[in-house]
Amino acid sequence: MVETELLKRRLPRLAWLAPLLLALAVPVPRHQARVAQSPRDAAARAERALPSLGLVRGKLRGWERVGDGWSLLWQPAHGAWLVRAWVPNGPGEVRWRLEVARWLPGARLSQGAAQALLGDQTEPGTWREQLGRRDWRFGERQLAGALPAGAEVPRPRPGRDPVWPFLLGGFLLAGALARAVFPGVVAVGWRRAVYASLVLLAAAAPLVTAVGVRSFQPGVRPWVTQLAFLASAFGVLVAAAAGSARFAPKRGSVAAWTLPLVLAIGVLAGRLHPHPRLLDLAGLGPRLVVWAGLAVVGGWLVVLAAEGLRDLLEPVHAVRPVVLAAGGVLAAASAGPWAGPACAVLISAGIEKGAAMWLGVAAMWGWIVGSVLAGCGWGGPLRDATLLLVAACAVAAHALLRDAEAA
Amino acid sequence: MSGAGWRHRAPRAAALVAALAVLAGGAVLAVRFGSLVGGAGAGEAARAGLLKLQFVPGADAERTLEVDQALAWALQRARPGPAGVALARGDGGAIRWRVSFATGGEATVTADGDLWSMRLPIPTDPGSELPPGLVRGFALTSLPEFVRDPAAWQPVTTQSWSEGTRRYYRVRFVGDAGSLPASWRRELEIEIVGPRVVSVRRTVFPLSTDLGVVNGRLYELGVLRLPALIGLVLVFLGALLAGAEAHAFHGRLAIGSGTVVAFLVAALGYGAGAARSTTVILALAAGAVIAVLPTFTELPPGRAAVGPVVGTACFLLVPNLQVVVEGLGGWIPETRPFVDGPSVWRQLHRAWTPALVEEPLLRGVAPGIAAPVFGWWGGALLGAGIGALLHPLPAVPLTAAFAAELVMQAAMVIAARAGGVPAAVLARGTFEALANRPVFPDGTWFDVTAMIGPLLGLGLLLWSRRNS
Repeated sequence: MVETELLKRRLPRLAWLAPLLLALAVPVPRHQARVAQSPRDAAARAERALPSLGLVRGKLRGWERVGDGWSLLWQPAHGAWLVRAWVPNGPGEVRWRLEVARWLPGARLSQGAAQALLGDQTEPGTWREQLGRRDWRFGERQLAGALPAGAEVPRPRPGRDPVWPFLLGGFLLAGALARAVFPGVVAVGWRRAVYASLVLLAAAAPLVTAVGVRSFQPGVRPWVTQLAFLASAFGVLVAAAAGSARFAPKRGSVAAWTLPLVLAIGVLAGRLHPHPRLLDLAGLGPRLVVWAGLAVVGGWLVVLAAEGLRDLLEPVHAVRPVVLAAGGVLAAASAGPWAGPACAVLISAGIEKGAAMWLGVAAMWGWIVGSVLAGCGWGGPLRDATLLLVAACAVAAHALLRDAEAA
Repeated sequence: MSGAGWRHRAPRAAALVAALAVLAGGAVLAVRFGSLVGGAGAGEAARAGLLKLQFVPGADAERTLEVDQALAWALQRARPGPAGVALARGDGGAIRWRVSFATGGEATVTADGDLWSMRLPIPTDPGSELPPGLVRGFALTSLPEFVRDPAAWQPVTTQSWSEGTRRYYRVRFVGDAGSLPASWRRELEIEIVGPRVVSVRRTVFPLSTDLGVVNGRLYELGVLRLPALIGLVLVFLGALLAGAEAHAFHGRLAIGSGTVVAFLVAALGYGAGAARSTTVILALAAGAVIAVLPTFTELPPGRAAVGPVVGTACFLLVPNLQVVVEGLGGWIPETRPFVDGPSVWRQLHRAWTPALVEEPLLRGVAPGIAAPVFGWWGGALLGAGIGALLHPLPAVPLTAAFAAELVMQAAMVIAARAGGVPAAVLARGTFEALANRPVFPDGTWFDVTAMIGPLLGLGLLLWSRRNS
């Protein structure tokens, strides 16, 4: 009888999870088409569709979400050339292109010979003298020496002015300085969680090089590219570890009802503006580890940046809620794929210092889950994102129930 | 002098003599080695070449250096050691001087002074036209004027075209490899108007393997520079935070020294004509880093006199590294990258800007930040690792490039440990100035600029000796 009473008192608290359901119900904008196939499936399709190039294609080295399809890259171990292919989401032509190192020798064809080699080419071509050959281009179709080199493949659209990443970086620096001057009481558990996440990310880093697809170049051996990617990643992770030791998360508490709310805002931001790099990660084996690690480390960075923003707004603290709300609207409208972290920083900056670590992690967690659920349409990532969402809901429900018990 | 006093002074005197010997040895070696690009006799060689075509150029001439960097290194890769450098200066035609005369006409000559190409102003009255059947024979008889081995050249094509009332002929010759490595090819084009040669142009076609190795390594080193730049940025951010923290707690900051260094870096960049934005960023960064250095209390005390000695010793050591790598079957270029439009300002910029910008970060801030976790030496190793990725030369295998750079970085670490960050800055500047001397032209001022480090070292050693 007593237990039933307790349940009756506690269960209404779970109504705070409703905003999350609402966020999940918000339709994804049409231009954010969901990709129905994994990059590996797309690669298999491209390998079936590509013509015989007369040379070794090498291994699949990386992929990137471009438009409503996958841009894929193969490169042999010697690195002298690479093959790019773009596989559309639905039925459609697989486009491909061969890129060859400029020093690789080949034929210096005349225009007539080049036209004859490419078939029905009547328009005049343009050529480019390389160190050991002549490359021709007729419209979109190309020749590398005497090798058909395919046509242009869709490239990622250059992003808008990167104001928000720089703004967030500035807040982060301000927050680090604030934390150095006013250290506060360290949340040992959260610091350990950040360390553990960094270790997990470092362990997964060798399996993540596929998302560094833009750094592969013809003439550069793939192991060198991968080494540079790994060295950069390790450098950043070591710096993050040193940063988390020096600017550790602060101890604090937060009202339980804010957790599902912030989680819902994160999910909504992710659904409306999924970050393309998070979708690239969806094609990896260790995606669950990487997403979880990124959520925790991202949460810590969000909190640090929020502290910086809060201190920067100290001279106008009377109007801080108004400024933060206006910033939130601006971020939702203009930050694009950075809307999730920007909103997380703004929300965390509105909370009392030291209480925001839970919220920062919840917002980032929600943003990642929202992005994946909106952008990926194949089994693995959907399952993993749902798993992350269920875990977050469980934590939020536990916090809500405990809060009710305490009340 | 008492026996105890002598025993006390003898090791110091020996160290001083050894340091002076190192400084003198490095200076003499750099001056004796001289310049690889030459340039002193380029004007005369060009004039002599044009005279062969019965054209008398005027007195005023403008001289510019043209270097095909990849070709120069490809020649060194094909012929390791001094032979490759000699080819780049001579028959390879990788290092050339273009001499343009104010009265018209221009010629390019190799660093060795051989004629590489010529072009005359088109004569108003070139004379009666050659019959087409005689053009090739005429070109063949002119050939010995322009090449030393005419028998090695075969005419392959003859083209003709008309411009206005004149008819032009171009005869293309293909030569064998000659003194170049096997499978390399030489070409020469002679243009004729009337019965006169008006243009001669030589071209070298390298074996794609040699050129490919050099180009591939250059691209790869460019890719590998990214993590080093990220590392530098992170170290710089650490320095900024440390500085801001020191300012908040009223810690000691070297604002004056930072300002001086910022002005120095800006002056070097401005004088050398470097990109203005880069110069401003580097000057501000260097100034900020120098200003916050006193907050890192783990740094060793300053004994700047150590720097030039270590830098000169490093310069004496580096050529031996190439011998070692080549002995093990690898390859490292003999020459550092050449400079576009060499000048004394550019020589100063190339030597002292990395010293002023990189050394305080790599030898001051990086060990300072990392010391609480890894200790000073651990931090120094981190700095050396970052530094080794910044300016390596294309080598085979790629690791040899980093190994050679790491040796240089280790020398800078030793300088920093023994004499503090100022010593590391002086060591790096001295080393870079001496090592880069060969890629600047002949000239006393270039020699003097390369000597700044050893001269500073001499002055500092004698000054500290006098004070002690």
